[in-house]
Amino acid sequence: MNTRTRSFTPWYQRKRTRDIALVACFLLPSLAIFFLYRILPLLWNLVLSFEYWSPLKPAKFAGLDQYREIFLEDDVFWQSLTNSLAFVAAAPFAIALALGIALLVNSDLKGASVYRAIVFISYPLMSVAVGIIWKWLYDERGGIINYALRSAGLVTKPIPFLQSFDYALPSVIVAEVWQVIGFYMIILLTGLQSVPPHLYEAASVDGVPRWAQFWRITLPLLRSSLFLCAVIGILNSFTSFDLIYVMTGGGPGHATELLVTHIYKTGFGQTRFDYAAALTVVQFILLLALTWLANRAAGGNAGAHDTGRA
Amino acid sequence: MMDRRKILKSGAVVAAAAALPMPAIAQSPKKITFLTWNIIDTADIINGWIARFTKDRPGVEVEWQDKKGPELPTFYQTQLAAGTPPDIINTQGALGLEYAGQGALLDITSRLKADAGYGNGFNQNYLGNWVYEGANYMVPFYLTKTVLFWNKTMFQKAGLSGPPQSFDDIIAYAEKMKSADSTGFLTLNFDWLYWPLYAMNGVDLLSTDLKTTAFNTPKAIEVTERLAKATESGAINKISWTGRWVEPNGAFAAGNVGMLHAHAPAYFYVKGQGKWVTPETLGATHVPGSFATPNSHGLGISKGSKNPDLAWDFLKFITNEAQIGEFARLRKLVTGNTAFDTKHFAELDKSDPFVAALLRTQLEHTDKMVGNWRLGNDSRVKEAFWPELQNVMLGRKDAKTALADADKKVQRELKRA
Repeated sequence: MNTRTRSFTPWYQRKRTRDIALVACFLLPSLAIFFLYRILPLLWNLVLSFEYWSPLKPAKFAGLDQYREIFLEDDVFWQSLTNSLAFVAAAPFAIALALGIALLVNSDLKGASVYRAIVFISYPLMSVAVGIIWKWLYDERGGIINYALRSAGLVTKPIPFLQSFDYALPSVIVAEVWQVIGFYMIILLTGLQSVPPHLYEAASVDGVPRWAQFWRITLPLLRSSLFLCAVIGILNSFTSFDLIYVMTGGGPGHATELLVTHIYKTGFGQTRFDYAAALTVVQFILLLALTWLANRAAGGNAGAHDTGRA
Repeated sequence: MMDRRKILKSGAVVAAAAALPMPAIAQSPKKITFLTWNIIDTADIINGWIARFTKDRPGVEVEWQDKKGPELPTFYQTQLAAGTPPDIINTQGALGLEYAGQGALLDITSRLKADAGYGNGFNQNYLGNWVYEGANYMVPFYLTKTVLFWNKTMFQKAGLSGPPQSFDDIIAYAEKMKSADSTGFLTLNFDWLYWPLYAMNGVDLLSTDLKTTAFNTPKAIEVTERLAKATESGAINKISWTGRWVEPNGAFAAGNVGMLHAHAPAYFYVKGQGKWVTPETLGATHVPGSFATPNSHGLGISKGSKNPDLAWDFLKFITNEAQIGEFARLRKLVTGNTAFDTKHFAELDKSDPFVAALLRTQLEHTDKMVGNWRLGNDSRVKEAFWPELQNVMLGRKDAKTALADADKKVQRELKRA
């Protein structure tokens, strides 16, 4: 009798199951660490934001009270949010500047690699060092900026850059841009170098002017690099803790307070970990929204790998 | 011959046996931890204390940890949250009261009463700085309060014969000494160190029961306006309202600021930075009215300590004349241990008369210490008040509006407490 019997393999013996199990085994340690150090604290932070809690007192349900205080009573939150958004708003200018430099050092400019190194050199510096450098540059009495301005006759009295409500935030933003611009430049330079040269050649043959080549070829193909810069810019804007801490401590008043410094001061300076947790949730949502907006602005799937095909 | 499996098994047993005693040592019931604030430079002395303390106490272990200025509060709070606070903690300023208010520190009132000889050996006004709601939580480790340093050379050039005798004098002298490259007055501002400027004008921050604000008055507005005006004119250095420690002391050390209102240790920083500093060119005295804000270091025991008795013994041991004297002689400071301080000043009279005179100011007029409200939420009150004051001093708001705004914010914090 020639009967065709279909052999039955239990699910746990199937090759696909074994493959999945193997992959899971490899992934598990990383996932466990990710869960333990990222997801769990996030969830704990979320829970904490709905409680009254301090290290030595039992937790009590607070409902939305912490959030009510944030939005209705906390002037410093609004000030630090405005400041954080001002930092974010500076990112496009920094990226535009970095793009300009990247285009220059990507051209046949003599000594381009030297310029590239000079621009990039600020990035590996620790933020604390950058803060100290700029703090001295801005110093009202001994700072080189004031010395130069006075020597050039541009001002008669020294400008208290970091002690003034008007100048403190822009001054810190300049230092932040100075530090990060080299990194943006490298990202954009890598993007520029991945643009296939034949596209420019074809465009030149067709008589397309340089500005149109930039607009129609360079910029669209730099989309993923620009998106990356934008995301880094947004994240930097919200997390420039070291720089602010060293240069101004968030002052004068709260003129340079960012959400992240406000969170730190509230948690560790005033022992309000519950309230700091709620502030952190608000910051997290804001970052999520801004990153989504940046992605939308870059065309919707900017994080996807760019093939370089036009 | 042993096979491979046997060798592995034996190896595992030996390894387990070797590892077992380790946690036992780590969790020894006689181990205490001692957390200090930014005194790593005195490691030899502190390790010596520990060696002497443990020598007569077999099985006792003391672990010393030192944290830099901004790191200590963060570290201590994470340890509190983890349920493993250090047994003995050294804090500065009002932080000890905050921790007491949170329930982090052990009430040592009964221990001080039981050992009256020990408690009475301290300057009582300083000891009282760590009393919160009637209970004592800390003992003095090393003490400081504010004084007025004055640059005698600048005073002479301005035709001024001696330090100011009133608030009016401070403003007037500062105006006289200001120029394009110099300012007349500078104060440290953290931890209420500027408050003597208000106290000498009869202004207090809070009511005596600490339940409500007391600063939103016409006199306070007037004082604030005058300080702001002097800041605007350049008589008062702007760093007074923006700097913390290095910037103001550094500015005074540069030799172009007439007066510095700072706590006594600022002298050592200024002397180290300013080549001009000698007893002939620098003076140190009380501010008008002899008011001063303390910013002392205290020692307390965490409520979560597993060995509070041992911690108390260690605390007493290190504040004993032999131990604390070693530390104070090296760093030239006041300990609050009256017997030792008296001896120390006599020694300094011979070796360093200027420092002797400076340190004496720290134990004078201790009944006039201000800015040391016994609050369990001092940092929140400070955070409610200080930015509004900065708003006036740096020209963003007028004094009346800013103090009214500060009043609302401080009231809110007091209610929340």
